[in-house]
Amino acid sequence: MAKESFDKEIQFLRMLVLTSGAYSRQQFAQRLGISVHTFDKTIRRLKEIAHTVYQQLPHDQGQEFAETLRFNYYESADPMLLFLFRAKSLKESESYRLSVILAALQEQAKTAMELIDACSSQLPEEYPLPDEKTIRSDLKYLEDIGVIRKMKGGRPYRYSMRHDIVNELTDDELIDLYDFVDVMANTQVPSVQGYILRDNLKQALKLKEMDASMAEPFLYKYHYYSRILDEAHLYTLLQAIRERRKLSFLYFSPKARKKYASQNTNPLFQRETQGKQESVLPLKVVYDHQYGRWYLLGHTSRLGLMKYRMEGLTQVQAGEAVPEELFTRKLQELEERTRHSWLVDTGHPVRVRARFYNPEGARTNFIKERVLLQGQWGRIVEENNDSFLYEITVNGMMEIKPWLRSFGSSCEVLKPLKLRQELIDEWKEIQSYYDDEPVREDF
Amino acid sequence: MTMNLFEKIFNYQIMSRLEESGAFAVTSHERSWLRAMLDHPAAADAFTPETMAKLAAVLQAEADIDIAEHVMEKASSVERQVYHPLLRPLRRIIAERQGSRISYRLKHGGMQHEQSGFPYKLEYSMVKREWYLLWYHPRRHMFMSTRLRNIADVQQEEISPARAEELLSKIAAIIDSRKEHAVIEVIRIYNRELSRIMYAFSCFEKEVEYFDDTDTYRIRLTFMGDECEYILSKIRFLGKRVRIIEGEKLQRRMRESAAKTLARYGIGEEHDQLNGEEQRVIFDSSS
Repeated sequence: MAKESFDKEIQFLRMLVLTSGAYSRQQFAQRLGISVHTFDKTIRRLKEIAHTVYQQLPHDQGQEFAETLRFNYYESADPMLLFLFRAKSLKESESYRLSVILAALQEQAKTAMELIDACSSQLPEEYPLPDEKTIRSDLKYLEDIGVIRKMKGGRPYRYSMRHDIVNELTDDELIDLYDFVDVMANTQVPSVQGYILRDNLKQALKLKEMDASMAEPFLYKYHYYSRILDEAHLYTLLQAIRERRKLSFLYFSPKARKKYASQNTNPLFQRETQGKQESVLPLKVVYDHQYGRWYLLGHTSRLGLMKYRMEGLTQVQAGEAVPEELFTRKLQELEERTRHSWLVDTGHPVRVRARFYNPEGARTNFIKERVLLQGQWGRIVEENNDSFLYEITVNGMMEIKPWLRSFGSSCEVLKPLKLRQELIDEWKEIQSYYDDEPVREDF
Repeated sequence: MTMNLFEKIFNYQIMSRLEESGAFAVTSHERSWLRAMLDHPAAADAFTPETMAKLAAVLQAEADIDIAEHVMEKASSVERQVYHPLLRPLRRIIAERQGSRISYRLKHGGMQHEQSGFPYKLEYSMVKREWYLLWYHPRRHMFMSTRLRNIADVQQEEISPARAEELLSKIAAIIDSRKEHAVIEVIRIYNRELSRIMYAFSCFEKEVEYFDDTDTYRIRLTFMGDECEYILSKIRFLGKRVRIIEGEKLQRRMRESAAKTLARYGIGEEHDQLNGEEQRVIFDSSS
């Protein structure tokens, strides 16, 4: 069986979250490049998962799914999109069996035979009783992923849960750990593993009847919560980088209207595929805090250094390894060329010079504070009572421009003249948007 | 073993069955992640040295996931604070629904001593990379947002569960009543950049409308009054790609912003009229 891919679900959720209910079923399906039937099937499946994971969700079928996933700041403690990572499909009998095994081990260490007994007494009648081989392979899997351990001592071996990070801590320490995991998952990248661990610690606190101490005291302002969808590919990319392996994938530029091409042989899909098949030596992964987006930077033999938005990657597969020397050389090249990238631009370096005006009448200089906080490697080269000069060398002007513009009249770009003129032209156009008194349209 | 975020064990049916039977299962992936996070300087403020030692011992055998080596973060604010020592005592006061007596430094100098209040959330700003305590000042009927680094002292102050309940529902009602709305339209020729524009607004509460006949997108934002400035900076950030079509206050501010900026460049009539109002608020907060 082919490895289950979640490309469709990821693209689906991303579009759902970014466009928050803007599209009808038909429009949505068309933009994703899937049939309405597939759309309905996907949404049914995602709904089922979301409702199982977040039991507090209302079961009202009429409710729009987009509404369900709508971001609400004061209720944002549980990351809504995490349920995507619970989408791995599993036979009902297998999920039952694994749950029974884990529940049995929760209380005390057991041997494989004792676990077979547990299964025979607890599995619902409609499922076949597992044989020893099945149980042994389950135990092997659970051991491999680090959930259980084989205990020391002779045969028959006993297996126990690896709950040390909970068991070794006092109740008070467990709260500290829960908080730390919450804070780090929310403020650092990557986050998904942290959110999953957070769910587990929450369960541990519940078991100790410490529900009240969870209380979700933390809020995180202006974080891009949809960033976790892109983490789906992250570990595949990191693994390939570590092993110096090429990657192949079907790439959809985010500027294309269609986001996904079915891997099925449905000719309708194939005809409409606009993605490009790429083969790349991956070198670095970049997280852009300005938009909350991920990039893959790599080298292709045909086009040299290439940048891909993580959201455009589908059907990612690892390929052959390259010699260490080649990887090192390309990585150095990349580091050299991205040294002055505001984000990922590898264009020609430009020296940008801008005057920032200190706020008048305010007692704190929040303009300077913000420049120091966000101005990356740029320097303040001159200062007086009213203003200061900021200089930075960046690759191209495109990526820094929005940041400079966001300061409004507190920033005047001096050089390059081309950038200065572009900003003047843009501000003229922006001004024209608001020239007239607001016109209210009738709906 | 390769990290896989779609591991069988994370399956939703297993998760819910484990929950029902009061069990849980932590994988080595999660422990590796935790191990990597413990290397962050923030960990020192999050745990006592004894807890740190225990965690280090438990996690010592886990694989190192060398994320920092392969992941580069760009355009981030300087990370000056991820944890603060006051998070530990304050989160406990909040969890126990207790009141507090706070002494804190004012932004412009001076101190406020032993103010009685009701803390309800701790808020981290990804933009300023700082922690704030959100609390209600019952005597002044005010919502306060105080930087943790300005708090000199906090003491717990006993209040009854009934009073806490009353305050919490009052706070929720007031927050709800203070929500504002604005509608932003994507200028049609920039629909190609829709993804970027939607990402930029994805940190706000929003709904999007699409008008098929004109191929136009409208984003309806919901926000608190004190978030106006951040929203405006986002709109200036996106430049001519978007236009505010509903929300008079924001529209007026954009009109002013455009005129003043052009004046900076020597264009328009307002050369000498820069009164600083627009600037003051760009990066201000209610703290």
